[in-house]
Amino acid sequence: MADNDGYYEALWPRSPRQTKVKALSPRLDTLAGKTIAQCWDQVFRGNEVFEFLEEGLKARFPGVKFVSWREFGNTHGSDEREVVAALPKKFKEMGVDAVISGMGC
Amino acid sequence: MLRASAAGELSGVPSSTLVCEGFLPLATAASVGLGLPNMPVARVIGHPGVQSREQLRTNVLDTTLQHVIDNLLKAPEAVKDDSEPGARDVVAKGGFDEINDYFYRNELSDGLPIVPPTREKVEQFLRFTERAPDESLGNLLPDSRAATIWSIAVNGVMAGCRPEYMPVLVALIEAMADHAYGVEHSGNTPGGETLIILNGPIVKQLGFNYTQGVMRDGFMANTSVGRFWRLYLRNVAGFLPHKNDKATFGNTWRVVVAENEDAVKKIGWEPTSADFGMSGENTVMISRHTGGNHISSVSGATAEELMPYICDAMLKQYSWQIMFTVGQGYDTLRPQILMSPIIAETIAGSGWCKADFRRHLFEHARMPAHQFERILRDWTQKPFWSLKAEHEAGRIPKLFRESDDPNRLVPLVWKPEDFLVTVTGDLSRNSIYIFAHNGVLGYPVAKRIALPKNWEQCLAGSKKS
Repeated sequence: MADNDGYYEALWPRSPRQTKVKALSPRLDTLAGKTIAQCWDQVFRGNEVFEFLEEGLKARFPGVKFVSWREFGNTHGSDEREVVAALPKKFKEMGVDAVISGMGC
Repeated sequence: MLRASAAGELSGVPSSTLVCEGFLPLATAASVGLGLPNMPVARVIGHPGVQSREQLRTNVLDTTLQHVIDNLLKAPEAVKDDSEPGARDVVAKGGFDEINDYFYRNELSDGLPIVPPTREKVEQFLRFTERAPDESLGNLLPDSRAATIWSIAVNGVMAGCRPEYMPVLVALIEAMADHAYGVEHSGNTPGGETLIILNGPIVKQLGFNYTQGVMRDGFMANTSVGRFWRLYLRNVAGFLPHKNDKATFGNTWRVVVAENEDAVKKIGWEPTSADFGMSGENTVMISRHTGGNHISSVSGATAEELMPYICDAMLKQYSWQIMFTVGQGYDTLRPQILMSPIIAETIAGSGWCKADFRRHLFEHARMPAHQFERILRDWTQKPFWSLKAEHEAGRIPKLFRESDDPNRLVPLVWKPEDFLVTVTGDLSRNSIYIFAHNGVLGYPVAKRIALPKNWEQCLAGSKKS
């Protein structure tokens, strides 16, 4: 019986990625005395999660400080692009050393 | 969350992203698109939505805390770029079944057989646009890929489209790439699916169904263009289930809904495209919805008799989505109504224009303030929230807080024009369909469909072949 399956040379349906791999920021030597920013999308009980993390981090790293999620706005709301774009400047102004961002749920 | 972390990483601030364990594959896939594939995440056990405060505290202190510390103090291993095929590369050769096996195994198809995208087929599509094959209409997240004309043609072939649909496909991807639409949210939990509304003379020229069964498959143009949309989301934007697409349940793709502009014209209304300043033109409009409902047998001889049922039905389609009215989004809820022609005629017969219909809906499709607040604060666990606080902060208009009476009625949307109305469907049946819009997770965006200068000639040639 003849093979009616044909012959095709099929092209790749994706397109080039626009981002290349970038380096992460250097990590810190310690969190003691450092300032940590909290960024939140204001759902999934992040306010409580940040509260517990503060408790745990303060117990292990003397002098660690936090900048509340209230300072940054909703990172996943209708103005997400503007809120996220403003973060680097705010981090600099507030002397932020590290950021914790949630909640990916 | 990852995008906020990326903003930190790229400005010299190390990050830790809090991710529920069910979302870890999504975080891995999305990090690649951000160019930070080794961005560290801290595991959140289970889902906070179903844990007591004590359980949540224990999980955070026993597990998440150490992950956060490690994320901020220990450098993850460096990662290099993965090599990928080039845009014009042939990735599979062989018979129909072999091609389909390859595309399915490599997550390049939706599970149905695809039309093998050969160079010859792709070039047929390219004849229906004046844009250059390598022109990009934008950068699509989360995979961060260029929305090229070439890739539109390739995926159009795969979906089973005809070459002459290319101008529609290009306009659709132009809309997808518009930041207002928010394509990056297409893999969110609610799993909403895009609704495509088509307007203009092109509806008839390309043979789109705009009457009975308008949302049913079985019409090549409506069906294949709808399938194209989902294939493009998969292959170029990068939404793959179990990876970047984290819909809890999801929906399958919708066929294109074309408006019945004859019916619209007959009653002196404006088509959907008029809401975007393009009345009478060939346009696509996209918006995203988690679902909706057919509202059957809308009965009455006047607009006044029809409206109570329509207003009641509108309210019943909306629950958590009001977070896009106030809260997660502000004034971004755009309920979409499909209206069968005889319902539109009956409403217009009472002397109502579309604006009158919308105003009535705005004024009467309202819920008690306590219910509005209960949905957002108590039922969806948004902890610190009230209409009073939002109003006092200047984020919402007074109509949401005319008094402090918890039984006062508040609207679903901020203004009458937020309702979108499209006349389509069965010519002889008195029904409407109401979609549950997803606000910023697919805000309505419309684009003109650009036809090539020799459109009529190309169209005639293509129909003969």
